Amino acid sequence: MVNLLTRAIMMSTPLLLGALAEVYTERTGMMICAIEGIFLIGAWGGFVGTYLTGSLIIGLLAAILCGMVMAALYGIVTVYMKQQQVVTGTALNILAAGICAFFQRVLFGVPTTPLQIATLPKIAIPLLSKIPVLGPIFFQQNILTYLAYVLIPVAIFVLYKTSLGLTLRSTGENPEAVDVAGLNVNRIRFLTVLVAGAIGGLAGSFYTVGYLGMFTSGIIGGRGWIAFAICFLGNWNPKGVVFGTLAFGLADAVAIYIQAVSGHTIFPNELIIALPYILTIVLTIARSNLSVPAKLGVPYAKEN
Amino acid sequence: MAAPVEKNKNSANTVEIASSQPVVELSHVSKYFAKVVANKDVSLTVHAGEVVALLGENGAGKSTIMKILYGLYGKDEGTIRIRGEERQIKSPADAMQLGIAMIQQHFSLVPTHTATENIILGNVHGYIPITECNRRIRTLAETYGFDIPVDRKVGELAVGVQQKIEILKALYINASILIMDEPTAVLTPQESEVLMQFIHDFTKQGNSVVFITHKLKEVMEVADRIVVMRNGVVVDTVRRTETNEQQLARLMIGQEIVPSERDEALDFEQAVSVLELDNVSLALKGTSACVDSVSFAVHEGEIFGIAGVSGNGQDELCDILCGSRQPTCGEIRFLGRDITKDSIRSRIEAGIGYVPVDRYRDAMVMDMTLAENMLLKSSFSPVWQSRGFIRQKALNRYTAEKIVEHRVKATGPNDTARSLSGGNQQKVVLAREVDLGKQLLIFNQPTRGLDMGAVDRIHKVILEEKERKKAVLLVSTELTELFELCDRIAVMYRGRLMGVFHNGEKTTAEIGLLMAGVSDQQEVRA
Repeated sequence: MVNLLTRAIMMSTPLLLGALAEVYTERTGMMICAIEGIFLIGAWGGFVGTYLTGSLIIGLLAAILCGMVMAALYGIVTVYMKQQQVVTGTALNILAAGICAFFQRVLFGVPTTPLQIATLPKIAIPLLSKIPVLGPIFFQQNILTYLAYVLIPVAIFVLYKTSLGLTLRSTGENPEAVDVAGLNVNRIRFLTVLVAGAIGGLAGSFYTVGYLGMFTSGIIGGRGWIAFAICFLGNWNPKGVVFGTLAFGLADAVAIYIQAVSGHTIFPNELIIALPYILTIVLTIARSNLSVPAKLGVPYAKEN
Repeated sequence: MAAPVEKNKNSANTVEIASSQPVVELSHVSKYFAKVVANKDVSLTVHAGEVVALLGENGAGKSTIMKILYGLYGKDEGTIRIRGEERQIKSPADAMQLGIAMIQQHFSLVPTHTATENIILGNVHGYIPITECNRRIRTLAETYGFDIPVDRKVGELAVGVQQKIEILKALYINASILIMDEPTAVLTPQESEVLMQFIHDFTKQGNSVVFITHKLKEVMEVADRIVVMRNGVVVDTVRRTETNEQQLARLMIGQEIVPSERDEALDFEQAVSVLELDNVSLALKGTSACVDSVSFAVHEGEIFGIAGVSGNGQDELCDILCGSRQPTCGEIRFLGRDITKDSIRSRIEAGIGYVPVDRYRDAMVMDMTLAENMLLKSSFSPVWQSRGFIRQKALNRYTAEKIVEHRVKATGPNDTARSLSGGNQQKVVLAREVDLGKQLLIFNQPTRGLDMGAVDRIHKVILEEKERKKAVLLVSTELTELFELCDRIAVMYRGRLMGVFHNGEKTTAEIGLLMAGVSDQQEVRA
């Protein structure tokens, strides 16, 4: 049981990071539909960086850089060239898949055994990790999980208590008001997308650097989209995102647990694997109030 | 350049504007959008302590020139001097730095944020001490006698209050030059008076106001100097004390407009009632009723007006009548038949024409041709199609006829709707609806945002339809329009009818009070 929950927290980490990144940008009116691609390229960047240098830190930095490059591309096309966000995002997701597969082949050829890297070590927090039950669940995780813990209150503080947050939230609700207040709407949106790219890249690297220690082209498997959905599910609110992520992470862990424990159950295996995804859909439909940013997905064009 | 020597002879305003240097001086400013000339060679000055009215019809370039001053648009030619120094104003941030603030016609507020949050947006750094900010804003508001709930969400507040928040945004940054774009468009007559008082107090302290409007009455009430614009150029600059409404109207329009003739109010008690509403209500989830127990009847040959500040349930009422929304309760009868549950199509077929308030959203497809737009609401009719194919020739012939009949400025039925000016688009919608509405016509603010020529034409059409014994329901926010056209006027406030009156029974001021929700029985506070 403790194992199961430890695993749930671990599996939630990248989703939480991705969803937080998505909350920041969607509050400014930008959906990052390229999040799946950002996850993937982050995962790949993290793997390559670590594999080539042997340093996990350089791996993580490479993941951040890859995520930001992808986000910058997305930002230029959607913010400055005012192209449709969903279409651009989908195109970039395909591009990311292509880039990763291509350069993986260029760099490493077709190895007979999968290339492996060391993964991020589990860090037991002194004292806290000794708490019965809660200790192993929350405080024997890797550095990325701890980072996610920190980023939640940071996001709440920034969004609701600072001028930066007020600006971000206003930009998604009424960019004209922000413009008239003398702030640069497009710059705000672009920079937020860039920051989200960094967080998204890091989130993606969790799958290679933090967990599997290897890279495959299907490693993200739609989890970027899950992070995207969790932002909606969490009502564009960091607290809601925590709830959404935990619900999904738990379902994911349960699914893997059931698969592992019982070879043959009355439920078909596919149904169990689909459980987290079904749950996300059900929760998204079931939640009552919606505070979707009014100008979500709408480019800001000034006649001039 | 020597500052023009001017003397304010107005006794009401004691501020002397003698040979002072203008705080704002625009010289020969021009602005071109793609093909259109928005402003050509515009020069004007604003002095300290002065109210300058920028008067002109819609599309005369008043807003554009002020948006250039506020940095929202870039100018193509000319220079801007602020307090004697030439400045490049590239963004609103630059303008605010120079003490210029502008209140847009459509408020730039974030409805989901509080008043305080809206006011401090862009003017705070780092951590926001919200209670401290609330207190500061409250104090600032009290200095000007404004009573605003600083911690309520702006979207929940009345438009009059929202405007005060916009003004506070300007005061918060210590603006000394305040530009207001059509500030009274959304206000009741009483709220307008409060605004005029504020402008008076504000300029008394040596600040300047630029007041953009197309209403002559306001200009005569508030302005020291009047700059009249037409087709993007300044036609004339006159002192308020040396002009009158007739002269201004001539300058503004360039020709005389003869008001439509209307007969004495008739008695419709005996006439056939075409549309009857019986306790119609609409409650949206989670809000109070936006249409609340509305009952009235519109008779054959009668123009029934509904007055009210926009957003008091008029749009919802029209939606209910055209069939795009179902009322929560109540009954709608059309020629005695209950049509409450009827579909939009069956209402169209029964002969109800409807000109919605937002023609871009509800009345036209902008990228389609005029002919296709004419067909839009009756595409199912055998007149326009046979076996699923559009009878293009008949349709084009009909559209061409309508273009001539309604004096639409278009080259032919194959022009796209988008290529027409707003007034001409509205004429096309009108032509279609007048033909569809064999029995009943519903107009929701049919002249909103149109120039006086088009307004005049639309008023004439409405009166013609009345002559044809059609019943007309006219929703409008312009009291002058209602007084000019209607036989009876109802006032709508927060979804309820505050009473139905024969035209002439109530004065503008009395209707204005009802529009603000003050009924006859209540004590009227000064």
